Amino acid sequence: MSPSAYVTLSVILFAIGGVGVLVRRNAIIVFMCIELMLNAANLAFVAFARMHGNLDGQVIAFFVMVVAAAEVVVGLAILMAIFRTRRSTSVDDASLLKN
Amino acid sequence: MTGSVGHAGLVGHPGVLAASTIAAPHIEYSQLAPMLIVFAAALAGVLVEAFAPRSARRSLHIVLALGGLGAAFILTILIAASSSIFAGGGAGHIAAMGAVGVDRPTLFIQGTILVLAMLTMLIIADTAHGLSPFVAQAAAVPGSAEEREGLLKGVTHTEIYPLTMFAVGGMLLFPAANDLLTMFVALEVLSLPLYLLCGLARRRRLLSQEAAMKYFLLGSFSSAFFLFGIAMLYGFAGSVRLSAIASAASTNTANETLLLAGVALLGLGLLFKIGAVPFQGWKPDVYQGAPTPITALMASCVVVSAFGALLRVFYVAFGTLTWDWRPVLWVIAILTMLLGAVIAITQTDVKRLLAYSSITHAGYILTAVVASSALGLSSSLFYLATYGFSTVGAFALITLVRDPSGEALHLSRWAGLGKRSPLVAATFAFFLLAFAGIPLTSGFTGKFAVFQAAEASGATPLVIIGVLASAIAAFFYVRIIVLMFFSDPVPDGPAVVVPSALTGTAVAIGAAATLFLGIIPGPLLSLANNAATHLFVR
Amino acid sequence: MNSYVPILVLALLAVGFAVFSVVLGTLTGPKRWNRAKLQAYESGIEPTPQPPGGGRFPVKYYLTAMLFILFDIEIVFLYPWAVTFQKLGAFGLVEMVTFVVTVLIAYAYVWRRGGLEWD
Repeated sequence: MSPSAYVTLSVILFAIGGVGVLVRRNAIIVFMCIELMLNAANLAFVAFARMHGNLDGQVIAFFVMVVAAAEVVVGLAILMAIFRTRRSTSVDDASLLKN
Repeated sequence: MTGSVGHAGLVGHPGVLAASTIAAPHIEYSQLAPMLIVFAAALAGVLVEAFAPRSARRSLHIVLALGGLGAAFILTILIAASSSIFAGGGAGHIAAMGAVGVDRPTLFIQGTILVLAMLTMLIIADTAHGLSPFVAQAAAVPGSAEEREGLLKGVTHTEIYPLTMFAVGGMLLFPAANDLLTMFVALEVLSLPLYLLCGLARRRRLLSQEAAMKYFLLGSFSSAFFLFGIAMLYGFAGSVRLSAIASAASTNTANETLLLAGVALLGLGLLFKIGAVPFQGWKPDVYQGAPTPITALMASCVVVSAFGALLRVFYVAFGTLTWDWRPVLWVIAILTMLLGAVIAITQTDVKRLLAYSSITHAGYILTAVVASSALGLSSSLFYLATYGFSTVGAFALITLVRDPSGEALHLSRWAGLGKRSPLVAATFAFFLLAFAGIPLTSGFTGKFAVFQAAEASGATPLVIIGVLASAIAAFFYVRIIVLMFFSDPVPDGPAVVVPSALTGTAVAIGAAATLFLGIIPGPLLSLANNAATHLFVR
Repeated sequence: MNSYVPILVLALLAVGFAVFSVVLGTLTGPKRWNRAKLQAYESGIEPTPQPPGGGRFPVKYYLTAMLFILFDIEIVFLYPWAVTFQKLGAFGLVEMVTFVVTVLIAYAYVWRRGGLEWD
């Protein structure tokens, strides 16, 4: 199978993640959609690395994985602080900051 | 980093790495010393948290943070003054196997960030009057018995210092990154501590946590776009080095879709960080909810750093594509200037108002970015420095005007402040005049420089709209001044606390720089011009 | 393909040993059934009652899981170094020691501030 199919798949995954961020209301699910977008980018990096025949893309994928893990930890800490206060992780409930 | 892997001998055998292509990379530690020192100070801060007794932590942290930032600043000057860069007329170096560019504009930006970070650190460290702006125990639920107990015991989160230092380290690396992977990692290193710091306000904790969540979700959403943009550009050029992308863009005509998609997605991530319309939505909420010293950090250092990265990406990597991105940035600059100014008029919260003002200022700087010339670069650098000083000063002043429940942020509470504490009101008025761009303040010289650069590049409509937006913005700045000096004080109005030496110094330096750069802009302006002559190294 | 044969043999041996031990145990061991034997196995302690739907679990689990992910993922940087260890030489060693010390500093913070204590 040609690597370009993987690039197409990664674009589809990225779009699914992006739409998920925009339409879902639970902050945890929004956050999972963002992780899906990061992983879609990883797939694209690896596919392009194979197309170009160099390893840069695979190295980048490693870094992205570590960054994503750090982001998970920070993000869940923030979301949990909010959940303990409000008993809800809906992004619609968090609406004190308005004009 | 990525440069450590050779390309030769791999084509045709993807996935098989010929062992002979790997050579030990070479890293110029002396060129990277400012960043390394800031990160080392941050790590030392973590060790202080782990091993120092609670009573000694705060003073140790202050010494480490200010010492680290100061040492990094001195080293930045030494590197800049070394014979190969400013003094010898050189453009600069590429360090760490092409991952980092140490060149004139970058050193100017890093110096600016370090000075502003030192000023901000003074406000962060200020716990005078028993009122640290940061929460005692972030894990305690607001209003719970646990929280009250923590307050009585007087516990504080001294983790804020290492977190700030990590963020500053990321900010130093972000504009220096010469490949997109380093830039992405730097972006995350600067963002992740800021997400946490935003949620640590002592007062109005629900607002603060909400700001942290919004900033985190939108920030990581935008960095996902940024990353996918990198993936597209890597697919196009086969490398993430900015110079490789630039040369591929000028020679490779196939796969232009990948290139343009990459430019758009990468630009989106960068424009989000500077808060340009239509990616400005997070800015008012986050600036309002975050602890005021952190707002000062975001409004000054982060903006400087993000503009540095934006300039580098658009001038180096997309330098040959000017005709593709210039029209888009035109529209974005116009929208940013106008929307920020118009919405600011309706605001009633001081920090929210300054957030919209910050959006407008991002628009002004964008007019110089669009110029895509040495003049545009130098005026952006100058503007960033002047705006940073005024912003830190203004936010430092906000921390001084207090109600019993915390900072008095509603504008109605500021009515008649000029009659009760003339000095504070006058200084704040001075900062507002600088934001408005009135002559004899640094705001005027900065704005003059960017509009001049835009004019010289033929962007006259942008300049006209910029002046129009300035007029709208001047209206709401003057309205606050009128409110402070010409209306009657509210009966139980906010108390203005006497600033401690820390905040006092921050305000004084901010005001002095604003005045000095307004009257004698020459030295800094010529330094900025000097920094921009060779543009960025490739 | 030949290079995979040892792996295949190893896998067969492993499966065979597992099947052998379980079958031999049931055939030869004494059979005394009581309530404790039928309970779910939780490392020898009293099983935690599970409310319907899984219920809530203490925040300690979350903290441990997060710390595990953080320290676990750092390992990905050790693998590339391990395979190019000879080529990178002293430079690689110095850089990797710096990296591991950095992670250790984070570990020291977690340890001293009680992040590893269960109670």
